[in-house]
This record gives sequence, structure tokens and C-alpha cells, in this order.
Amino acid sequence: MTASQKQDAQGKQAKLASAASAEVMIQLTKVNKWYSDFHVLKDIDLTVHKGERIVVCGPSGSGKSTLIRCINHLEEHQEGTIVVDGITLDKNLKNIDHIRTEVGMVFQSFNLFPHLTILENLTLGPIWTRKTPKAEAQATAMKYLERVKIPEQADKFPGQLSGGQQQRVAIARSLCMNPKIMLFDEPTSALDPEMIKEVLDVMVELADTGMTMIVVTHEMGFAKTIADRVIFMDEGDIVEENEPNEFFNNPQHKRTQLFLSQIL
Amino acid sequence: MGIVNATKTPARSAPLSEGSVLGWLRINLFSSVANTILTVVALYIIFLLVRGIWVWGIQEAVWSAESRRECFKISKEGACWAGVINWLDSIFYGRYPREEIWRINVGGLLLVLWMAPLWIPRVKGKVIIGLTTVFLYPFLAGYFFSGGEKGIFMQVMVSAAIVCLVAITIHAALGFFANSSLLQFLLRITGADKSSEKNQRNVLLGLLAAAFIGVFVWQMSWQFESVTWTKWGGLFLTFVISGIGIAFALPGGIILALGRRSKLPVIKVLSTTFIELFRSVPLITVLFMATTMFPLFMPDGFAINKLVQVIIAVCLFNACYMAEVVRAGLQAIPKGQEEGAYTIGLGYWGTMGLIIMPQALKVMIPNIVGSFIGILKDTTLVSIIGLFDILGMLRAISEDVFWRGLHHEPLLFGAALFFILCFAMSKYSRHLEAKLSTDHKD
Repeated sequence: MTASQKQDAQGKQAKLASAASAEVMIQLTKVNKWYSDFHVLKDIDLTVHKGERIVVCGPSGSGKSTLIRCINHLEEHQEGTIVVDGITLDKNLKNIDHIRTEVGMVFQSFNLFPHLTILENLTLGPIWTRKTPKAEAQATAMKYLERVKIPEQADKFPGQLSGGQQQRVAIARSLCMNPKIMLFDEPTSALDPEMIKEVLDVMVELADTGMTMIVVTHEMGFAKTIADRVIFMDEGDIVEENEPNEFFNNPQHKRTQLFLSQIL
Repeated sequence: MGIVNATKTPARSAPLSEGSVLGWLRINLFSSVANTILTVVALYIIFLLVRGIWVWGIQEAVWSAESRRECFKISKEGACWAGVINWLDSIFYGRYPREEIWRINVGGLLLVLWMAPLWIPRVKGKVIIGLTTVFLYPFLAGYFFSGGEKGIFMQVMVSAAIVCLVAITIHAALGFFANSSLLQFLLRITGADKSSEKNQRNVLLGLLAAAFIGVFVWQMSWQFESVTWTKWGGLFLTFVISGIGIAFALPGGIILALGRRSKLPVIKVLSTTFIELFRSVPLITVLFMATTMFPLFMPDGFAINKLVQVIIAVCLFNACYMAEVVRAGLQAIPKGQEEGAYTIGLGYWGTMGLIIMPQALKVMIPNIVGSFIGILKDTTLVSIIGLFDILGMLRAISEDVFWRGLHHEPLLFGAALFFILCFAMSKYSRHLEAKLSTDHKD
């Protein structure tokens, strides 16, 4: 069995397991969003179970980033309902703050806090929102820094790190909040080719721990390795949704075929 | 065909122009005959100017005399610094009673004592020290400066300020010499450091109350002679007005700027209107409005003194200017910072206070200090509405019987004084910028 086949097998097992427990983590029903007159999300329905890994792809402007930014309410949707971890997103600010502590997010531009050291970046959330004692928060932070393989950078400032290192710190920062769901918004798009791999490696490791993940990315190799489902979006619609093998080898929709032929 | 560079190019020393004074001189001042001539001519002109100033200001100047007439008798060509020297007390303190001037000096020293811990790296709790400087010190200083009968409110505030000052001083000393803090020290002394958190809090509150009551009883036993605000003047008055203006401008500006960026329409419209209203009117107009128009709108018998009106006007005016500086700084911070903060669960105030403001304030240091310098200089406008601040006192010298017509020397002295103050502030802002920079720190 080759490594990729083995990964596939693992992925399928995980999918079966999640289907069996079938605890719904994220439920989007008829979600619509407009940027003034521009209709970005059109009647989006999506269900994500606990432990599922979903990759979202599509051309730019298709609404994929907006979709995952709606899940932690960085963007406000106008119609439909979004339920995350049993809590409905609405105007209630308490709910939003709570959901944001349960949903980690990694951005294309890292968004580390440049005026704080790496360690302070990691401990800020736990100390201020979870009221974790400082020593404990620091211990957790070091644990995650070791997991992303840069414990020696703890006392540096973000500006002194390479892009790949910064992105790994960003992942560790989210993990320090002990989230139930991780969202990735094109995490490798701003990186040099050499650094993409180190970030993807960390993400694959994270997937192996059973984290619920939604990843917007153009890294199709990564999608094949870890995804339980691949979602293809175009002009605000979910055009096609399938498990990765079928999606890449046997795309059904014409738009999907065109997209795949262009990027593969 | 491939090219392989097998030898490593050795590093050579930089050409003469880099880093050496002689090299720089040669390239920039004496590179050709024409340039050399220009340099020499320019140097001669500079020499003539400087010599004029030297002869007038120092060589021929009169340093001690009783009147301007006497100055002329001694030297016709030189400056009459004697007038400025005779008036020094008035330039600094206005018409404040001479035997009470120590109160102003002590008040100033207390401020230094209060704020000194902010510059000692090992002292903790700097935010609290900074806040008490803004909210408690003014009451203590206010009483030192104006004196008189203390009302019950003033008694409470003065006592609180004294307790706070003593606490800060001990805290700073402990931090500096023992790397400890006042809290730890008190808990250890009372033996409460082993007991529960609630117990510790009770002990601390008890000590605080005891200290407060002690000081309160003590301060009832003395009071200062009253000095009305009309006797305040000179550099002292300039410092009072601009100091309060500076202390208020930044917090006021931050609140207004956040209000202007708020998503709540009422707050947004109110802040914007307020800011634009004050920004579209010259300060002198605001001052005239505050001192002449404002009392007309007030009910009969309602009178606040002119100085308070002026201070309020200066505060509001500068808060509005500062609001725009802060807003510019906020806009310089990428949106991603806010989003990053939201995703780790920090709410609006946490995001603003921990992530956005620290970065924005750092970006804005040059502009903020620029505004502070502006406030200090603009304060001289109050001399137009009849307050004898430093500019008022400097001009009053020329109307003195003994020094009639002495204009140049006092104004030059004032200019030098302002230059020193403003230049020091600007230098310090550069230093702060360098110290707070985390961009390429190794």
C-alpha cells in the first residue's frame, strides 16, 4: 500500500466514524449574503460533522472565503441560519464571542500581533478570554509551539520570523484556545513554495488528531491527502461536492471540469 | 555553455565618502573650484551673522541694572538682559505671592515624584500609576496652587491623592531595590500572604482604609493660604493650562475617535459633529466664545471663573484635534489585526485595548507629540483674552515703569525657552519611537 492509499483509507475510516457518531458541528441552512448589491452567497446549505475535514476550492470571487468567514461571524449573513456547536448566530454579541472562542481561524496574512512576542501572541487569548493562569497558559503555548516545531522562537517578535514560521505560529495561536473547529482561509497562498510544505505538514498532523477542519485552499495535493469532502464553489453557489477521489478523477459539472483542467 | 564562478569575491573597504568627515567635506563642499568659492562665501556670511548676534547678545550685553535707562548708560550696542533677569520670578510665576512660590515648586516636584516610577523598568503596574497621575494628582496640585478652605470633596480627594502618592513612592522604591511590589510587601509584613485570596483582599482594603483615615485626620490640621487664580501667571500658568490640555487631549481624543468609527449611528453622528465643529473654528474663537458668550447662556448667579472656562475650551478643542490624529493611526492598522483578535475571542474592548490601540499609538507617537507641542505653544493665545501666561508676562515687562520699551530681549528669552521645551519633547518622542519599535529588533 502506498502512502497516499494509506491516507485515503484512513480518511475513509474517519469519515465512517464521524458519520456514525454524526454529531453536527456546523449547520448552514439557506444562507444568503450580499455585499451591497453583489450576491456573494446564494442559498448555501452545508452540514459539517464532528471530525470532518472539508476542503473548499473555486475561482477567486466565488464566495469561498466569505463562506467560512460567516461561520465565525467575521462577516454577517443577511438570510438563512448558521448554527455552530449548537448555537445559532444572530445579533446576540455574547453568542458571537462564545462561538469565536470555540472556532479557531488561520488567515492568509497570518494576522499575528506584531507588538507582542510569539509567546505573548499565544497566551493572550487564553489569559484574557479563558481566564487561564499565566503560567498554565505559557506551558500550553510552549506545548503547541513544540508541536509546530518552533519552540526556540518563543521570545522573538513576529517580524523576525519567516512567513512559514509565522503561519505555524498562527496555527498554534488558534490551537491554544483549544477550539472545536478550525477554519483555514488560504493559509499557504502568501507563502514561498519552500514554506508551503512546512505549513501543510502541520495541518496534516492536525487533521490526524481528528480536528474538525474547513480549509479554503488551492493545494490540491493537500486536498487529496486529508479531505473527507471537497466542495467546489462558483459565483456564490456550491456547484459540486464530493469525496476527493471522485471529485478529482470524475468531476460531474462543467464548471468543475474547466476549473480542474486549469489548475492541475 | 554554463558559467561557474569558482573564486569568492573578497570584501573591500568602503570608499572615502562613507562615514568619514573629511571625505564628506571633500565631496560635498570642495569638489570643484566653483564649489570651494561658494563654500567660502557662505561661511563668511554665516560668520557675519553670528558675530552680530554674539556682539549684541553677549559681548556688549548688560546683565545687571536697575532700569532700562541704566542699561543704556552702560552700553548702547548690547542687549539689556538685566530686565529679563529682574523679572524672572514674574516670568515664571506671574503675580503669585512671593512667599508662597514654594508651593508651586513643591507641586511640580510632586508630579515628578508621581511620574518617575513610569521610567523605572522594574516597577510593575505602570498603567495604574499613569491613570492616577491623570485622575488624582490634579486635585492635590490644585489645592497646593490655590489653597484656602478645603471643602469636604477636596478634603477627600487630597487625602486620597496623598495616600496614593506615598503608596506609589514606596512601591517604586520596593520595585527598584528589591524587585518586589507594594502588594507583596504588605502581605508579607502582615503575614497574610499564606491565607486565602479573599482574606488577602480584606487585609489590603483594611490597610488602605486605615491609611486614608490617618491622612484625612492629619490633613484637617493644616491649610494653605488662599491664592486666587487671578494671581496665577507666567510659565506656571502656561504649564497648568497646557498640562491639563495634554492630559485630557489623548484620552478624550481616543474616546472621540472610537466614537467616530462606531457602528452605532447616534454615537457616530454625535462624535463626528463634535469633532468637525471644533476643528472648523480657530482656537482663539473658541476661547472668546468660552469666556464672553458662554456666561450669557448660563442662568443668573451661575459663574465659573475664567480660568476654568479657558481650560475646558482648550481641553475640548485639543481632544477634537487629537481624535483625528488617533483616527489616522487606527486606520493605519490593517483590518486583519482586528479579525485576528476577534478569532481568539477578544471582544470589542479587548481588541481595541490590547491589540489595536497599542499598535496605533505607537504609529502615532510623532503626531501625538507634535500635537502636544502645538498645545503648549497655542496656550499662549490666552494672553489675548487677558490671562497673564508667559507671553502676557513677557509683554508686560515693556510696560513696566523701569523697563518701558524693552521688547526684544524678553521675547527672545521666551522664544529660547519654548525652543528648549519643544525640542526636548520632540527628541523624547524620537527616543520613544526607537524604544518601542519591534519591527527589526534583534
